[in-house]
Amino acid sequence: MNSTERIMATLAGKPLDRRAIAPVLGLYGARLTGCPLDQYYTDPAAYARGQSAVRETFRPDVLCAPLAFASIGAAFGSELVFPHTDVPNIRRPAVQSVDEWDLLVPPDPDKDPRLLYFRDAIRLMAAEHKNQVSIAMVIPIPADIPGVVMGLESWLETVLFDPAGTQQVMDKVNPFYVRLVNGFFAAGATFVVMPCGFASPTIVTREIVTAFTRPILAQVLAQLRGPVILHNVGAPMLPHLDLLTGLPSVAGVIMDQRDDLARARRVVGPDIVLFGGLDCSTISEMTAVEVEDRCRAVLEERRQDARFVLGTSGPDVVWNTPPENIHAMLRAAESFGSIDA
Amino acid sequence: MDIQQSLIERIRLADRQGCNALLDAWATEHGYERLITDVLDPAMMLIGEEWSASGTFTLAQVYIAAKVTEDVLGRIASMRKLSSECRPSKGPVVIGNIEEDFHALGRRMVGTFLRAEGWIVHDLGNDVPATVFVDKAQEVGARVIGVSAMMMTTAHNIRSVRDEIDSRGLTGRIQLAVGGAVFCVCPDLVEEVGGDGTAPNALVVPGLFDRLWERSVGKEAGP
Repeated sequence: MNSTERIMATLAGKPLDRRAIAPVLGLYGARLTGCPLDQYYTDPAAYARGQSAVRETFRPDVLCAPLAFASIGAAFGSELVFPHTDVPNIRRPAVQSVDEWDLLVPPDPDKDPRLLYFRDAIRLMAAEHKNQVSIAMVIPIPADIPGVVMGLESWLETVLFDPAGTQQVMDKVNPFYVRLVNGFFAAGATFVVMPCGFASPTIVTREIVTAFTRPILAQVLAQLRGPVILHNVGAPMLPHLDLLTGLPSVAGVIMDQRDDLARARRVVGPDIVLFGGLDCSTISEMTAVEVEDRCRAVLEERRQDARFVLGTSGPDVVWNTPPENIHAMLRAAESFGSIDA
Repeated sequence: MDIQQSLIERIRLADRQGCNALLDAWATEHGYERLITDVLDPAMMLIGEEWSASGTFTLAQVYIAAKVTEDVLGRIASMRKLSSECRPSKGPVVIGNIEEDFHALGRRMVGTFLRAEGWIVHDLGNDVPATVFVDKAQEVGARVIGVSAMMMTTAHNIRSVRDEIDSRGLTGRIQLAVGGAVFCVCPDLVEEVGGDGTAPNALVVPGLFDRLWERSVGKEAGP
């Protein structure tokens, strides 16, 4: 099986020659090619070269399109900063308060160069790898987008204390979001991964998820033209997972390494793909033997689970992770062997 | 239900108005001066301990706690202005996000809870170089610098603050508190970046600063 076939078989719950692996190696491509990050996160060809190097070096079953949420904020007017060994971040948000949203016009996904960067990177990656490797685009859920435009604190304040202002903001964000994400699918993304900040049990209450986040997700996901994988945003997801079941377009969930995967399976039912395994930060602190042992333990625990992918949780695998640690994931999956349906 | 538990329940419900109404009613009877020591501090400590132990509070709820604390401090400040009273301060401290880190929310909440405990907080903001932290601490006479980082990569930049403190011969005199989400995931990181201490969340940071301040005074006094 090639990687695309392996992922498709996992989605369908069919037998596999081995478990699929999906470490998040968007950033790591720049390390492999020696590309400066300000170029990597603005030049689609440079990004695509990095992902070719990732595929050649580690043979993952999923390649990541640029994981650069801050660049979406930049398209709205936020000021970016490019750290030397990490993804872009926001130095100054585009607006400071909900009142300023009145005058804010969302960027055009078909014209804004910072948004076209994502689409062009996906297109280049699809042209080179699509039939062999799945391509995942990572973008936060719609309820998290205002956070990269006005800063998390102002957005949290708005959601908590200003329902009318919150509605006004989301009325602008949702149509923009649908166009943007459908553009990713049209460019060749196999699926879109959505970190769920405003559904995370570490960030918001169940009441907020129920009254605010879920209705938006239900409305927006129904308009998307491809499968969606919900993501843990670097924190345990299980306590709110029941609030995210039954949403349209959702094909999978990337769980946190601290979540109980057996319980997660019971919550989401048999048809949803579960991703899980290692934390993207601590993998850099482990030895290759520890990584392989941890992966084998997870694989053993999910032996009977037809729809499981071994992956990393949280954002990108961190820059200083030794390559042998990433190789250890594939080695664990290969030595574990085939999976019956 | 006692006043602290009533406050915690309202924070759980993210009910800022309910919190303020409850606290105002209590203060009318017992006075605003006792509000911090008898109600707010112990309640925040309980929330902080529960949040650390079981993760049952959310960022949104703790944000409500910070806003309620700010509301109370604002009311007390206006009353003091009217009465020209002055509360004795614990001393100056410096906080900020390390160079290349722009995740301000946690640091700002830390500032709120430190002010509530009587610290004079010099908040340097985001993306602060090591030299600026130590310059400011020396300028204002701070014995504790609190440095925040959210990600693993930026957390490693905190090592430069340790080096700056040591190279100026201020080891022990200036204590380095470190914090941020990544320190909860990787506790070994505290030692790796040269931190003198950490706290699992913003609400219990004042206790950490108390301990580090005392340690600084003790080191200076000698054995």
